[in-house]
Amino acid sequence: MLIELKDVNKTYFGAQPLHVLKGINLGIERGEFVSIMGASGSGKSTLLNILGILDNYDSGEYRINGKLIWDLTEAKAAEYRNKMIGFIFQSYNLIGFKTAVENVELPLFYQGVSRHKRHEMAMEYIDRLGLKDWAGHYPNEMSGGQKQRVAIARALVTKPDIILADEPTGALDSKTSVEIMDLLKELNEREKLTIIVVTHESGVANYTNKIIHIKDGVIGQIEENHAHNSVHFGGEGMLK
Amino acid sequence: MRFDIDRYKEIIDTLSRNRSRTILTGFGIFWGIFMLLVMLGGGNGLKAILSQNFEGFASNAIIIGTNRTSKPYGGFKRDRYWLMDKSDVEVIKTLVPEADIVTMMDADWGGNVTYSDKSYSGIIKGLTSEYAGVESPQMMFGRWLNEVDCTQERKVCVIGKRVWSNLFPDGENPTGLFIKVKNSYFQVIGVDGRNGGININGSPDQSVVIPYQLMDKMNNSGGKFDMICMTAKEGADSDVLQEKVRGLLSRRHSIAPDDKNAMMMLDTEKIFKIVDNLFTGVNILVILVGLGTLLAGAIGVSNIMMVTVKERTTEIGIRRAIGATPKMILSQIITESIGLTILAGMLGILFSVLILWAAGSIVSSMPDFTSGISFQIGFWTGIAVLLLLVVLGVLAGLAPALRAMNIKPVDAMRDE
Repeated sequence: MLIELKDVNKTYFGAQPLHVLKGINLGIERGEFVSIMGASGSGKSTLLNILGILDNYDSGEYRINGKLIWDLTEAKAAEYRNKMIGFIFQSYNLIGFKTAVENVELPLFYQGVSRHKRHEMAMEYIDRLGLKDWAGHYPNEMSGGQKQRVAIARALVTKPDIILADEPTGALDSKTSVEIMDLLKELNEREKLTIIVVTHESGVANYTNKIIHIKDGVIGQIEENHAHNSVHFGGEGMLK
Repeated sequence: MRFDIDRYKEIIDTLSRNRSRTILTGFGIFWGIFMLLVMLGGGNGLKAILSQNFEGFASNAIIIGTNRTSKPYGGFKRDRYWLMDKSDVEVIKTLVPEADIVTMMDADWGGNVTYSDKSYSGIIKGLTSEYAGVESPQMMFGRWLNEVDCTQERKVCVIGKRVWSNLFPDGENPTGLFIKVKNSYFQVIGVDGRNGGININGSPDQSVVIPYQLMDKMNNSGGKFDMICMTAKEGADSDVLQEKVRGLLSRRHSIAPDDKNAMMMLDTEKIFKIVDNLFTGVNILVILVGLGTLLAGAIGVSNIMMVTVKERTTEIGIRRAIGATPKMILSQIITESIGLTILAGMLGILFSVLILWAAGSIVSSMPDFTSGISFQIGFWTGIAVLLLLVVLGVLAGLAPALRAMNIKPVDAMRDE
């Protein structure tokens, strides 16, 4: 089991304590293509933050590859994120003053990979995602789809165990969304990458092989979706 | 913390690709350094200009001049005009052991000198060869008066630079030529190249110096004159010397011992001290003001970087999400701050050195000053300023860096 969550709880202590995750139990195998689906406020973003070691949880157990993720120092958390997890964000989150290839190089920079090696590896991934001609361009010179592909290249370049995609198509039109989802699907099938997509859009979730529904901080139905026929992209989603 | 070319390239990229931000942030430091160094250099230059005035002048000279008495004394009414004579010089020499050189000066303002068809109205000074120890000449041509000139009462003269350039506009060497001073002819033996400076009876460049004895005879002064120039012996207390001389002269000329008006005394040592103190004061002021400006610049840098860090929350969040540790972020921001301060500071140093160089060469090329006046700051001042910059850079970067360090990777996603 690559990812294992046992009775994970998370409460935000504000003026009004908010119990966001109420005992999450979840297991994801290596090579799975999974979506976590829920409306806003369902706790899916919190779950994503915990999965991505961006946030702590209050009780329970979270293991990646058997390694317990608990009480990590910031430095250790950064190292785990860097080595085990690749992020894809809704708003791409590229650094505006860096070119496409430099953005892809950045995680390797923090790994201490030499400049030459780093550039080579980044170019390889840029090329693989069909952006060779755009390597030297800045994010504001690229379309949304291109930017997201740069972000995917950045997520892939460290060869992580898990790809976490947070609403990867949220800022894209439907045609580009289809392209990006096809790309993720292909990566899962060809490279046997473990990909977790967090979304509120059923069309996006439909691309994945397993849909985990989350509602009010608890896991609801887990739907096997190998037929990919539950909802078509852009169709009327059950949660939309 | 890794210190490799990569890190610096990252910093240079960040600074150079956010140009307007970098320029705005760096300007405070640039201006601070620029002001500090220009003021320091200006102080140096001013000091150089001022000390040029004292150049060649003995720092332990005492000048005694006669004036109308302001008190009745010894049967004389007040407002009596008195003069000194040769015997005063001899008496001071024998009775005041603290005195080194004692010599008289007689001067004629508006004395006309002519050479062929050129004429100049300068100051004719009657001096002895000893006077060179009070105010040392800088000969452009020939030599100054010597003892033989004085004892044999040779009709020779030393002319000042301006006198020379007026009488000999072609710039030829005038030694050996005869010029007409008042009504007699004098052979020129030298040209004194000094500019103004401390003036005793008029600027040396407008003077025509002849042996005192001749002057006395020409003017029919009967051995009387109104000024004695002297120097104190090495290590002698100039106040004691002045007291003794005053006592002696008062007695000999029936002047009230406390009549300061009747006998003017100028002590160059005191003037030198005043000027020295003045410049110490100016330097302290300049350093205070300059450091203040620099500090304000550093606070400015810190402030702008603070805003910048806030603005860069997303960027820092992204960096953290993809594997930067808080320490890396901390060192990045501090290195950026140091880099920026040093860059801006170096530009400040460069510009101020340039400005000071220009000021130095402009002043040096002015006819009233001898060349070689430097406004430049010292090498070690430059090094000290550079070290100061590094310290300021670290300090300025500290607060923003600590803030940046506390940015959580989730903040990147929240700030949309």
